[in-house]
Amino acid sequence: MPTVCALVPAYKVAVARLGTAALRERALIVADRLERGHVLALDEAAYALGAREGMTLVQAAACAREAAIAVDDPVRGRALWERALDALDAASPLVEDAGDGCAFLEMRGIAGSAQEWLARVRAAFASDPELARLPLHVALAPNKFVARAAALVRDQNIVHPSEERAFVAPLPLRFLELDRATIERLELFGVTNLRTLAALPHGPFVRRFGPQAARWHALAGGIDGTPLVPRARRLTIDRSLYGEGTAEREDQLLFALRTLVGFVAEDIALLGKRCGALRLHLECEDGECIVLATVLAQPTAQPGTMFDLLRARLEGTILRSPVTGLRLAAERLEEGGAELSLFAGRDPDPEIVGIALARLEAALGPHATLRARVVPGNRFESRVAYEPFTAAEVARSTRAALAPAAPRDSQTGTLAYRMLARRAIEVRLNAGRPISVDARAVLEVAGPWRADEAWWTTALETGGHPIQNDAYDVLLDDGALIRIINDHATWYLCGSYD
Amino acid sequence: MASLVPLERRRATLEGLRAALSAEHRAASPEAFTLAEEGVVRSGLGTLDAALGGGFPRGVVATLEGPPGSGRSAVAARLLASATAGGGLGALIESPAGAEGSFFPPALAAAGVDLGRLLVVHAPDAAGVARGADILMRSAAFGVVVIPAVVLRAVVWTRLAGLTHRANAVLVAVGAVASDELRYFASLRVRLQPSHVRFAGESGPFCTLAGVGVEAAILKHKRAAPGRRAQFSCATFECAGAPLGALRERTLEPAHADRLRARSGI
Repeated sequence: MPTVCALVPAYKVAVARLGTAALRERALIVADRLERGHVLALDEAAYALGAREGMTLVQAAACAREAAIAVDDPVRGRALWERALDALDAASPLVEDAGDGCAFLEMRGIAGSAQEWLARVRAAFASDPELARLPLHVALAPNKFVARAAALVRDQNIVHPSEERAFVAPLPLRFLELDRATIERLELFGVTNLRTLAALPHGPFVRRFGPQAARWHALAGGIDGTPLVPRARRLTIDRSLYGEGTAEREDQLLFALRTLVGFVAEDIALLGKRCGALRLHLECEDGECIVLATVLAQPTAQPGTMFDLLRARLEGTILRSPVTGLRLAAERLEEGGAELSLFAGRDPDPEIVGIALARLEAALGPHATLRARVVPGNRFESRVAYEPFTAAEVARSTRAALAPAAPRDSQTGTLAYRMLARRAIEVRLNAGRPISVDARAVLEVAGPWRADEAWWTTALETGGHPIQNDAYDVLLDDGALIRIINDHATWYLCGSYD
Repeated sequence: MASLVPLERRRATLEGLRAALSAEHRAASPEAFTLAEEGVVRSGLGTLDAALGGGFPRGVVATLEGPPGSGRSAVAARLLASATAGGGLGALIESPAGAEGSFFPPALAAAGVDLGRLLVVHAPDAAGVARGADILMRSAAFGVVVIPAVVLRAVVWTRLAGLTHRANAVLVAVGAVASDELRYFASLRVRLQPSHVRFAGESGPFCTLAGVGVEAAILKHKRAAPGRRAQFSCATFECAGAPLGALRERTLEPAHADRLRARSGI
């Protein structure tokens, strides 16, 4: 089965370079974030300087001082690749999305020679001016693994049937995309390329390395029987409603919205799908168009749930003029029903939670509903991260039967700590230790604990702020237990134990 | 013709009946004042749960009153741990810019709270707290909702108390002092006060705050006997379970308690 691989090597690097012309001539490292970030991808120049994937940004910057650093933008990268897949649809009826930067096209039954197929794929990809600036490699081979390996080796590579084994034989083990530990284990046996791997006896090798080793062995011989998986089509249902007049009152607007939701729900049901997201456009008399996007906790075709969610979104919206038209799009259409648990117990209904979250966001703002996460860090402030609380996570998270049990009875609780808005305080010292805080006597002092972080940012000019302070836990004469810090000779109150 | 029973004999019979009733009542009272397991959210602090008749009753507004450092947030964290255990959800409404600040999630996690099932709502002011609590209680999806003890009008507390009852949840207001309206609408009021503070190590650079001892008093309880007291201790989240060696206790003298009362308005 002739398969063309369309590959953009180091896709994240290529996308980062696309946005900034100044990065084209420099070695480039792409990281997940600047603060405590890790290297996600890098180009050959940065690799030659000593940087490696998975390094912390500080390590990579220390190795490759000349390299520029860019922050990954996964949303933009995905959107760009979706456009690339759309463009590749013109070259073959069967296109598989193998992740950002890689696609496979089945060319069986398509007229033309191998060179013509490759030229056609390249032309389809370059039909978008932005995509044309990406470094594309195309290669043809009898199966997906060999096609991808051929594209990685060089552009316009063609591997004919019966030549697969010979082509992959000299390739190093990293082409199998194994983890570093496995590669090191294999190298201990003297296996350094696919030829030596394919020469190993199949049975003992699989027994030693587990069932997945059977696939490695087959791939090392140039055999890949996995079929191409067609790209899922994105369906969208979009309905609009325009009346003869305008909706000036809330009840009129809700009536129109209920009617529109009914139409959309009918369309979804006719397709036998469920909707995972809704986008409502409110067109107002003064020309303003308000867009309300909402995500459903569980895909549904129930008009009641969709209407409740949209109404909750509307609660926080101020309309300055009457509404002349409504447009509602149902997105993320999915097949199948919702997963149900036999042991649901006290599992909350994700739809109800979703509506409550939409109401909270409408009432308190878009970033009011959060889920806290503990992250590694030395200072108290750096140990906390917040992310949006989503009802979908509730639906996916641990079921009642598997959830942790209630804490056991004990006579000892855990003292909570409250983070306070940092404010300057007056502290008197005796022999370097606090004796009063804002005219309240100090009974006991624990500490100090020194935080000395990001001192390297000045030297490396990575834009961070060095932090150096001493923290003390202090018992005041009124019984309050507070945490104070001395930051460059200024004292601050930063928290209290409660 | 019925014979008349002498007055003294009738009095003696009546006294006997009274004594029997009193003895029976005393014998029955421990069970009578214990709430059913499914009707409470247990804090997991044995003495406090016992004093409350089993735990914090569901469907009520409860207050945890006391000055900072009295362990009120620790009790709230235990309630959230109970709510998030077994697949339930808990919610925490807080105003990070306010005087009480915001809970520290690692300390909540150390108290047993499943952070993945805890909704943290940042409300800018008292009205935001009320709106948030209203929405959460209306959804009836959250077993325990912890809010700061803000000053709200009686009509708001009426609504919140009604929604809490319908949701069969516990709305816990945490603060130094409860407003008159909150005192009226709360079915359960617990006052907490630190009795001593524990330190590990001698006073100096190597000293560590280990925890506090807490005295709790049930000021009001509509479903069980009020007036009971409980004592328990709270370890700091960094020292919980860690070998600390010898501990030093710093007892808070009555003068400290007076200052605490002055600060908290109790």
